[in-house]
Amino acid sequence: MAREITRRLKTFEFTPYLVLGLALIILVVFIVYPLSKVVFSSFIKLGDAPTLRNLTLANFAQFSKSTLYRSAFLNTMVVGLVCVLFSCLIGIPMAYFVAKTQTPFKTFFLTLGTLPLILPPFVGAYSWILLFGRQGVINYFLDAAFGFTLPDIYGAPGVIIAITMSTYPFIFLLTYGALISADPYIEESAEIMGASRWRVIRTVTLPLVIPAIVAGALIVFMRSVGNFGVPAILGGNFYVLPTLIHFQVTGFFNLNAAAAIAMVNVVLVAFAILLSQYVTAKRSYITITSTTQAARVSSSKLLKWLGTVFCFGVIFFSLLPHLTVIFTSFTEGWAGTRYPTKFSFDNFRRIFEIALTPIRNSLFLATTATLIASVIGTLLSYINVRKNLKARWILDLTVMLPFILPGIVVGVAILVGFSSGLLILSGTWMIMVVGFFIRRMPYIFRSTTASLTQIDVAVEEASTITGASWLTTFRKITLPLMAPGILAGAVISFATLMGELSTTVILFSARWKTISVAIVEYLFSATIGPAYALGTILIVLVLSAIFLANRILGRRMSQMFKMV
Amino acid sequence: MTEQDNSRITLSIRNLSKVFGGKNEQVQALNDVSLDIREGELFTLLGPSGCGKTTTLRCVAGFEKPSSGRIDFLGRDFTSIPPFRRNIGMVFQSYALFPHLSIFENVAYGLRIRKLPRKDTEQKVNRIIQLVGLEATQKRKPSELSGGQQQRIALARALVYDPQLLLLDEPLSNLDAKLRVYMREEIRRIQQQAKVTTIYVTHDQEEALSISDRIAVMHAGKVSQVGTPDEIYENPNTIRVADFIGQANFLTCEVQANADPVLRFRSGEQITLTNSSDNVRGYQDTEGILFVRPEQMEVSAAANHPNSLKGQVKVILYLGSVVRYYIEIFQDHDPQEILVDQDRRVHGVGVGDAVAVLVHGQEAKLFPTEQRQQLEKA
Repeated sequence: MAREITRRLKTFEFTPYLVLGLALIILVVFIVYPLSKVVFSSFIKLGDAPTLRNLTLANFAQFSKSTLYRSAFLNTMVVGLVCVLFSCLIGIPMAYFVAKTQTPFKTFFLTLGTLPLILPPFVGAYSWILLFGRQGVINYFLDAAFGFTLPDIYGAPGVIIAITMSTYPFIFLLTYGALISADPYIEESAEIMGASRWRVIRTVTLPLVIPAIVAGALIVFMRSVGNFGVPAILGGNFYVLPTLIHFQVTGFFNLNAAAAIAMVNVVLVAFAILLSQYVTAKRSYITITSTTQAARVSSSKLLKWLGTVFCFGVIFFSLLPHLTVIFTSFTEGWAGTRYPTKFSFDNFRRIFEIALTPIRNSLFLATTATLIASVIGTLLSYINVRKNLKARWILDLTVMLPFILPGIVVGVAILVGFSSGLLILSGTWMIMVVGFFIRRMPYIFRSTTASLTQIDVAVEEASTITGASWLTTFRKITLPLMAPGILAGAVISFATLMGELSTTVILFSARWKTISVAIVEYLFSATIGPAYALGTILIVLVLSAIFLANRILGRRMSQMFKMV
Repeated sequence: MTEQDNSRITLSIRNLSKVFGGKNEQVQALNDVSLDIREGELFTLLGPSGCGKTTTLRCVAGFEKPSSGRIDFLGRDFTSIPPFRRNIGMVFQSYALFPHLSIFENVAYGLRIRKLPRKDTEQKVNRIIQLVGLEATQKRKPSELSGGQQQRIALARALVYDPQLLLLDEPLSNLDAKLRVYMREEIRRIQQQAKVTTIYVTHDQEEALSISDRIAVMHAGKVSQVGTPDEIYENPNTIRVADFIGQANFLTCEVQANADPVLRFRSGEQITLTNSSDNVRGYQDTEGILFVRPEQMEVSAAANHPNSLKGQVKVILYLGSVVRYYIEIFQDHDPQEILVDQDRRVHGVGVGDAVAVLVHGQEAKLFPTEQRQQLEKA
């Protein structure tokens, strides 16, 4: 018997358990542990020892005592809901025009319509003030020509406009996807029964894409209530929960209060998820599609022109802030004058003198975090797809949590988790890498899961039976076949990490400022030139990463965002 | 089985059982399966889907762990060896070629893992690709090959490193009918040249009969019968095997044991089986089910033929090599339709005609009546 056991041990393949076990341990240490700790510490008062006896609701009581807390909560709700509404008002018609009418330049709209998802919204946020602010160009001309000015956009209106213009693509792309994959025969059968065009849209087309709209609305809501950068720059006294969290962390270093606000922020998100599931559960349509026929397109000339104007308008308006950033970065002393008078590379010259470190830091942190996220995310998706775990949903949820949670909440969790206790990382670059990698791992996890489910298990079995060990099979067969999925996820991770702000703002230290932190600091000190020069560099870096990946993968940008 | 046969057993499966599922839902995929596979033979596991044939194969490969029982290969316990150390070649139903590797690299894969010198690798790959007749495709990717070509490359990849055992899991099910017939002959030829012990899984009884040295017919996780194709076809040991393999007629009757037994049917007609098999002559019970293949009967236009059953022709199907007659017998007593195959059209017999059906006693068989439930309800 003993000999039998030793022989079994000798022939047992440890490698998969070792490698995959390691990935699971990392998951527990860097996601489960800090998240549990932040929940716990939200019930502890600042300065109290973290014991069960010290549990208290005092941190949460602030929401009934403090007007600042109350208004931040209400403001967050308003921003979330209004942004969802506006995103739908922009995204749904745009999706309809691109999918169902003869509007030209469809690829152009789809590609540029994806850009706002990749370009960090805070970079362009200040442009709204430059353009539409009280001292802005538009108001200057309006005043000069017609003698009136637009209402002030500083505060709530600016925040809502800036966020909406960066979130509407979720509604646009998801609705577009649903519209083009819907069975055209369904609409035709409604028409043959005598329904008019509007009636078909109202009673057939729209109801069929409602699940997609709800999914998009949920992401828009999560992004809006979790956005830190835009309200930080445009909000002024208009506080939302993320800026309140930041205020508690940097102003008072009260991590416990920040944790409690974070919890409330999370509850908002959780409530939105439950609501969206409730809505879609009643409306899960399974359409049996037997045709590969493309979606039917309306031949109306009116809709064609309406669509062209609308889509161009939206694209122009949503990219206007970033165009302004690039334009302004080549000017001198604008924002002081009415409009730019002198063009030069001065701002860039200054950047290369004083701000090379943030660029280097961002590149280093984003690359490191992307690499770690790629390795761990790939291994975890392998476990998720190939190992028949009973608790698969737990793994899935744990990996996806940092994607669902607002970035600043993840930042607080990581700071709470690793500024005391067994593993202390605060103040180092490592804590930033941890925050970055757990926030972007979901991208890699999703895209590799998608490519792994398309690989026939028999292909791996064929390698095994030929004599390859688990590691050899993984290295020579599975990994090469997953590579496109890994690359797609990695590029999006890298591109969005380059301009990451909401987690960074909690975790960065003086030595490890990133591009995004430097931009915000310049903006706060009203040095627009260097801020926009850095912003331009950031935009160029992000776009070239995406462009390169598109070349390698041969995919369109909007396709790369399919998993979100 | 003779002494000599015993000494040549390569793979021995003993009391293999496999249960899938957790506490709530359990499926017994294999139930006490025992098989002996001899060196160099092509052994087929045949049965309908869900009979356990693929599970058996996957246990031999090592992809499934048996719930109990053991598998011995050349006297070594196979069950504790991980699949990649078993030195097995396997062809999958989907071929499972590596889509990112060229045909050459696909075939060379096993040799690279065995760290063969470059020259030997090239030589072996070239030889095996030649054996399967696809010299011109080496640089292409699998997606550029037709189904039949992919099939052969899968076979070449499985054979190139001289495995001790070759497993084929429904390898022809993705090919069209004509190619299927051609490829099964190819597989047989290549297997014979490579002299490799082979287990072949299929649900197609014609394929099994034509390609195998021996066949195990499986049903519901158990082995129903093991034998050569001739034995399985001509001498099935149960009604189920008789029904699954080929076409068959089953007629309930009373049996009068005799040197030439007399069978009495529900119509009152009776026939005497002359030259009958041991099975019929040794049949003890007074009731039985007569099993007779369509080609072991004869249609006669002479309605009053002695020692025959009266019937009426319902349908005549011309199948090329045979002519199949659907004949209704026992017309006044719960009629039953039987099939009779003739080499050519019987002169003077058309649809609707009254005919006599003769039974050739030497190949007929009797089964106990309680096996009737094994007949699949159509």
